[in-house]
Amino acid sequence: MESARLQISGLYCGYVTPDRGLVPAVDGIDLSLKSNEFVSIIGPSGCGKSTLFNVIAGLLAPNSGDVALDGRKIVGQPGHVAYMMQRDLLLPWRTVLDNVVLGPELAGRPMAEVRNRALALLRRFGLEGYENSYPSALSGGMRQRAALLRTILCDRSVVLLDEPFGALDALTRATMHEWLLGIQREFRQTMILITHDPDEAVYLSDRVYVATPRPMRFAGVVPVSLPYERTSDVTMTPEFAHHKRQVLSFLRGGKDAPAALH
Amino acid sequence: MTVRTANRGTAGRASALSRLGDAALPLGIMFSLLLVWEAAVHLLDIKAYVLPAPTAIFGELVASGPKVILPQLKATLFETLAGYALAVAVAAVLSVLILYSSAFRRGVLPLIVASQTVPVITMAPVLVIWFGYNSLPRIIITAIVAFFPLTIATVTGLRSLEPQFIDFFRSLNATPSQIFFKLRLPVALPNIFGGLKVAATLAVIGATISEWVGASQGIGYLIAQDTAQLNTTRVFASLTVLGISGMALFGLVGLVERLSMPWLHRRPSLAWLRNTRGNGQAAGAVARS
Repeated sequence: MESARLQISGLYCGYVTPDRGLVPAVDGIDLSLKSNEFVSIIGPSGCGKSTLFNVIAGLLAPNSGDVALDGRKIVGQPGHVAYMMQRDLLLPWRTVLDNVVLGPELAGRPMAEVRNRALALLRRFGLEGYENSYPSALSGGMRQRAALLRTILCDRSVVLLDEPFGALDALTRATMHEWLLGIQREFRQTMILITHDPDEAVYLSDRVYVATPRPMRFAGVVPVSLPYERTSDVTMTPEFAHHKRQVLSFLRGGKDAPAALH
Repeated sequence: MTVRTANRGTAGRASALSRLGDAALPLGIMFSLLLVWEAAVHLLDIKAYVLPAPTAIFGELVASGPKVILPQLKATLFETLAGYALAVAVAAVLSVLILYSSAFRRGVLPLIVASQTVPVITMAPVLVIWFGYNSLPRIIITAIVAFFPLTIATVTGLRSLEPQFIDFFRSLNATPSQIFFKLRLPVALPNIFGGLKVAATLAVIGATISEWVGASQGIGYLIAQDTAQLNTTRVFASLTVLGISGMALFGLVGLVERLSMPWLHRRPSLAWLRNTRGNGQAAGAVARS
């Protein structure tokens, strides 16, 4: 069996309240990703998904459990995975170009090289000609693409995406999905996506994990057997509908939901 | 959005015109007030030592401005700028201490706030005893008057950062100094410049009143002398010069503000330069639409 790129085992994470003591937010999460896999985690709002991401990103120390990247423990160590948060968090005082090179800049890498690479990638990210614009001049979709380019330029093998398209309108969203898949394939990234949207989860993923609300546990996993190269047409197929039904069934807490299609 | 990029040039010119219009209203009001003042002085036969007419003040400005007032202004301006610089340095140190040390915040900040209730001018004689008859006590008074609002504004700005941005920087493994200089400081700039503007006008006031005690030069000294001799006309002439100096300093800080925050102020010079350089960019945006 191919060794895991990202291995999360027995993760337990809680917070202390004055009246109830230790309240679990994430309770016993195991997750294993192979190289170049795309996995989604879907669940209701406030189910602890962001807590899980903060632990993987090293921002939050779990009460117990392990996170390993390529076999190396990274618990409590920020900087090992790229993390794209829900809001684009572009810095308004920096131009688009200065925003997207932030990761390498903070890491102290030689900037001339990084800027050239960024300039070359602007077209692929639909930002050509906007390198000297400030973020306030960009549309919502452009801002998200700039934030994703900034994430890609961090040069990490694993990327965490926390509802990156939540604030976009449906049309922009559909375009962004197709485009994101292309980016993931092209840059050979291992991605974990948090989402509320079953269509988004099934369309983008190799596997969809369905999470229960606080404390967060996995109610089930839906392996997606759609072709590796997919376009938005695939959302009209019976296979897609079947996977979506499985995801929805787990979301409603249906115990009869099948574990896999085949 | 594309339209805005393309039209930025004409928008800039139109706004320059509208800013001229903005200036016309206050100038008109001021001119009318001066007219009423002039008429009142003549019609009610008010003595010059009580209230001089604007034309008399202007005449005094022309007569004694270059020879008497301007040499005194030099001393006052020096104290203003030196005291302002001292205030900025003190405010910078205090702000960082307040931001990063909860002990300082709890132990020393209340004392600084309490010290602000003491009328600074009453300390002037004591400072003269301590530091002698030179400009140092006056520079210190100027700094004491100006540093407090600047400190409060700076701390407010430095603490206005949304926690998500800190998490984001931490996820990039940023060092604490990177978080300060590349995140907190730029976020705080609008507040800091607000504080710098208030402090600039306060510095002029501080320097002037400091010259009422134990000074042998400066506009404040001149005003005190002229008041004692009932030379009210020259007092008003001096006040006019002070007012213009204060506005100039305020405007200068405002200009630096616009130049250092081009993402907020697109119109002024730096942004104009940027736009001329980035003409291809605007053309690209039009082509895309």
